[in-house]
Amino acid sequence: MSRLLREEKNGRRALLTKNLTPGKRVYNEDLVIREGAEYRTWDPFRSKLAAAILKGLPDDVVVEGGKVLYLGASTGTTASHVSDLVGPTGLVVGVEFAPRVAREFVEHVARERMNVIPFVADARDPSKYAVAKVDVVYCDIAQPDQTEIALVNCSMLLKKGGTLLLVVKARSIDVVKDPAKVFEEERAKLEKAGFRVVRALELSPFEKDHAMLHAVRRD
Amino acid sequence: MTETAPGSADFEALRQKSIEAAEAAIREASSRPDLHLVQAIQALDDTDKYLNITATRASEWYGLHFPELIQMVQDNVGLCKMIAEIGGREGYTAENLQGRGFTEKKVAAILEARDRSKGGTISDGDLSRVKTLASLAVQLSAIRGALNDYVEAQMKKVAPNVSDVAGATIGARLMAKAGGLDRLAMLPASTIQILGAEKALFRSLRTGARPPKHGILFQHQAVHMAPKWQRGKIARTLANKIAIAARVDFYRGSEELSLKVELDKRLERIKELYKEPPKRKPETRERPRREGRPPRRDKFRRR
Ligand SMILES: C[S@@+](CC[C@H](N)C(=O)[O-])C[C@H]1O[C@@H](n2cnc3c(N)ncnc32)[C@H](O)[C@@H]1O
Repeated sequence: MSRLLREEKNGRRALLTKNLTPGKRVYNEDLVIREGAEYRTWDPFRSKLAAAILKGLPDDVVVEGGKVLYLGASTGTTASHVSDLVGPTGLVVGVEFAPRVAREFVEHVARERMNVIPFVADARDPSKYAVAKVDVVYCDIAQPDQTEIALVNCSMLLKKGGTLLLVVKARSIDVVKDPAKVFEEERAKLEKAGFRVVRALELSPFEKDHAMLHAVRRD
Repeated sequence: MTETAPGSADFEALRQKSIEAAEAAIREASSRPDLHLVQAIQALDDTDKYLNITATRASEWYGLHFPELIQMVQDNVGLCKMIAEIGGREGYTAENLQGRGFTEKKVAAILEARDRSKGGTISDGDLSRVKTLASLAVQLSAIRGALNDYVEAQMKKVAPNVSDVAGATIGARLMAKAGGLDRLAMLPASTIQILGAEKALFRSLRTGARPPKHGILFQHQAVHMAPKWQRGKIARTLANKIAIAARVDFYRGSEELSLKVELDKRLERIKELYKEPPKRKPETRERPRREGRPPRRDKFRRR
């Protein structure tokens, strides 16, 4: 059975991830029991990855046993759900360079979860956290040059055939209308760097002006 | 890269090491680098004052001996360097005037002035006292430079967005006035706009004089280079962006925004909209004097 559950609650779709640390919360999410196991509710309004999944990102991208490099871990809200998804045989390398938010990430996520390795480091310098080749690079660092940063990380740490999930912030309103067109530039950068962009998911109504690019590294 | 399987003992050791390193980095950051910055910017401003006083005294004293040189050399620190290194008037040669940024013509003029100087003689004792003062000024200028570099570099790390919109030194002065990045992040834009103009503000409350339009922000070139009637608007726009920047820097760490681009756009608009001075004749009520630190003179600016 998958570590991700999709549910329909009062006509609204909801996501649950199987809690790697039963009995423990990371923030103020709900803990619920499904078929004898504990799950944590995953709010798409608080997490862009959850939003992307509800908007069509397939379940087989972040899978049990997978290794994920998470850039921009922040306080670890999303990273903790990724940790649930990859489970005890998986790995999450979390990178965050702002100490104030990294504190919560280390305390509440990395210390508690044996599949998480934290780094307080700048994502521009992957040599600081090169501990494993990964299946997925997840990048949400809200920097103007984040596509370049993501690509540097991929070339050093992403396995061939691996996946890049890149959160892109739209800069104007018509992005919302036609994301494919506006994200062309970022898409072109990825294609040029040897990636195939599988889909561009616009994240409304969960996030305004955001999209997620799903790209796969060519062999 | 050692590939160790999650769950293995090696993996757990690696994980613990990373956690410890991360916690050490966090501890270091919680040593409040902003408070060190606040001290550094104040030390920088203090040093500026000492430098001015010391260099002025040295050059005035030396002027009794070689008044023409004081007239010819505008750069006070450069002048003090010459006093400290060359000493008495007779010591000036084409060689030791090299490498001080003078044109050949200037060098010739200095040498000529040396020969026809109207200055008096100076005893060895007095000369050595002047030289001591002059070399103190040179040292202060080096200290000032180092403090300035530190403020610029630290502001980029501690408050990158504030540094971006306000400039490193003005941003640091605002932080100093507020008492730290945390306090600056809590201030409303209207307060930031007049930080450093407290005296004028209280006077205006007391006497009904016009409230100040800017304090420290007057030092920002977008404000002081603008025509008078635009300054209040520009200061307000600037203060708005700084308030946002401070909050992002404090609460969200170092995420970078494009505040500077937005700011420049708004400033352009103000310049267009208020190109002409207002028609209505300004009231003739006595204007309160501007408070706060005067704009920095360029003389001691590095670069
Ligand atoms: C939009 S937040 C990420 C939110 C997080 N993904 C979540 O959903 O919970 C972006 C984070 O990236 C961090 N960041 C920005 N630039 C970075 C860089 N160059 N290296 C590492 N982290 C960075 C910021 O400090 C911030 O915490």
